[in-house]
Parts: sequence; C-alpha cells; structure tokens
Amino acid sequence: MHVAPETIYSVLTYLSLLFLVLATAYAALVSFSSRPDGETASWTFPGPGKGSLRKAVGVAGIALAVGLASWIAFALRGSSRPASRFLIPEGYIGWVKVEFGVSGAPPLPVEGGKCVVRFSPSGFLKTSTPEQSMGERDSYYYYSDSGTHALADRTSGAASLIWGQFHSQAFGSSGKHTYEQFFVGTEQQFKEQVNPTNQAEGNAARGGAVNK
Amino acid sequence: MFPFSLYAIAGILTGVHLYLLLGLTAYAPAANLLEWIALAGSLCLLAAAGISLFKPRAAARVALIACLLIWTFYAPATVKTLQTKVLRHRVVTEHSVPGEH
Repeated sequence: MHVAPETIYSVLTYLSLLFLVLATAYAALVSFSSRPDGETASWTFPGPGKGSLRKAVGVAGIALAVGLASWIAFALRGSSRPASRFLIPEGYIGWVKVEFGVSGAPPLPVEGGKCVVRFSPSGFLKTSTPEQSMGERDSYYYYSDSGTHALADRTSGAASLIWGQFHSQAFGSSGKHTYEQFFVGTEQQFKEQVNPTNQAEGNAARGGAVNK
Repeated sequence: MFPFSLYAIAGILTGVHLYLLLGLTAYAPAANLLEWIALAGSLCLLAAAGISLFKPRAAARVALIACLLIWTFYAPATVKTLQTKVLRHRVVTEHSVPGEH
C-alpha cells in the first residue's frame, strides 16, 4: 500500500501538536500542583523509575549524543567546500541549471577562493568539475558588459531573487548526471512556475533567456 | 514511566517534524529562527524524558520550559494556518454564492 508523503507529513503535524498539548498540560500540572502529604506515587506525581530502565535510558542517551555529535561533525566537514559565485546574464528570469562532471566540458574557474559559475544566456552550464553542493556562503550576481551587481539571495527574505535551489541526479545510458538548479526572479514569478525541471533547457531550446 | 513516554514521544515527534520543516527551507527565503528555537525545545524535552526517571518533579519543570520553547513556533504557525483556512473558506463561499452579495 502506497501512502503519499503529504499524508505522512499531515499526520506527523497533527500528532506533534497533540502530544505537544498533552506534554504541556501534564508538565504544567505536575510543576504547579503540590503533592498531598502521605500520597504514594501516582501518574500525576510518579516516583523515580526502575534501575534497569534508568540504565537503558542512560545507554540510549549516550548513543543519541554520540550519534548527534557524529552527524554534526559530518555535516560541518561536508560544508567545508569553497563557496561559489554565480554569474547570471543581466535581466535573466527563470531557472538556471548546472550539470557537473561532464567529460570534455571546461572546469569551473576558481577566483579569490570561490568557484565561478558563469551561466550562458540560455541559463544552462556544463562543467567537468565534480558535483558540488550549493551552500549558504554562495553569492549571486547579474553580469553584463558594464560589470556585475549582486542579487538579493535567501538571506533577504521575501525580497530574494533566488528561489527553489535544489540538487538532482539522473541516470541514463551515459551514466549518472548530477545537477544543481535554482530560480532567478521574484517570489511571485517563482510561484508561477509549473515545470521547473525543463525550464532552463526550454530556454536553451528557444535560444535565449527569458528577459525582462 | 508515563512522563518518560509522554516527553520522549512529544520530543521525537516535534523534533522530526521541525527537522523536516528545516529541510524544506531550500524552497523558502531563509530558515526561521523560531524553528531553531523550537528544535532546541524538542531536544530539551528529550532531556526531560531522561530526567523524569530520576527526578520527576524537576523533569516536569524542564519539560514545561521545553514545551514553551516549542510553542514559540507552533503557536504562531497554528494561528496563521487557521487564518488561512478561514480566509480561503470565505473566498470560496463568496465565489460559490454570488447572488447573496
């Protein structure tokens, strides 16, 4: 039986709220009530747990802490790649797409410690540079003959001109293909997009960017 | 055992839910600070579950603080969701029964 991810997420949301309400009510009840004299342990004022349970929880707690520390260390190591500088043709509105690890394509140049990803007017770029994940330290610019100017990114909130950044992989007869894509434009323009995957290629097929 | 189970289940559920929400921020302008605060609250709730086996009363206080941290995100999110649903209902009603307006 197939259950849609949206259904699982909805159930998770309602269960989270339900248990949060219960936990809040119970914690408040126990915190602000006083135990009557002589009353034995009850569900409202429970006594300490059994020794074996304490040991099990202690071991589980240590395992959880070690797991969390390893995960954070792994995540930090993964984010130590050089930041990227994305150069987008002036006025370009739409999806841009980078394909990594393409044999025969030029590698991404590194300037000032940053990988420079310069998109053509089609919004599509192939590079032999291996797969790279985009990150918080990346920066985005429009370029033209007169120079470059920075684009508002995710840190600018609703004023951002960078949306829907995601990583994807495709497997074909020529092997694995790795892509990074994001949308350049306002939030409204982003929401109007229906078919993100083929937009950049569609622009390329039309022979140019969607300009303002 | 009851407080341990309650705090642990609430901590895990809210923690997973918030973690998934934070994972969706690739499609949003930026991660909300309240989500991080609430995630810290979920971890505190898990800690309260452990403490409840030794000092139930102290655990309840830790759990209450943790729950308040979690509510900093869930309360405004719930209100916003309800407002959106009510507004959508009104719009649908107005469009469905134009003769009455």
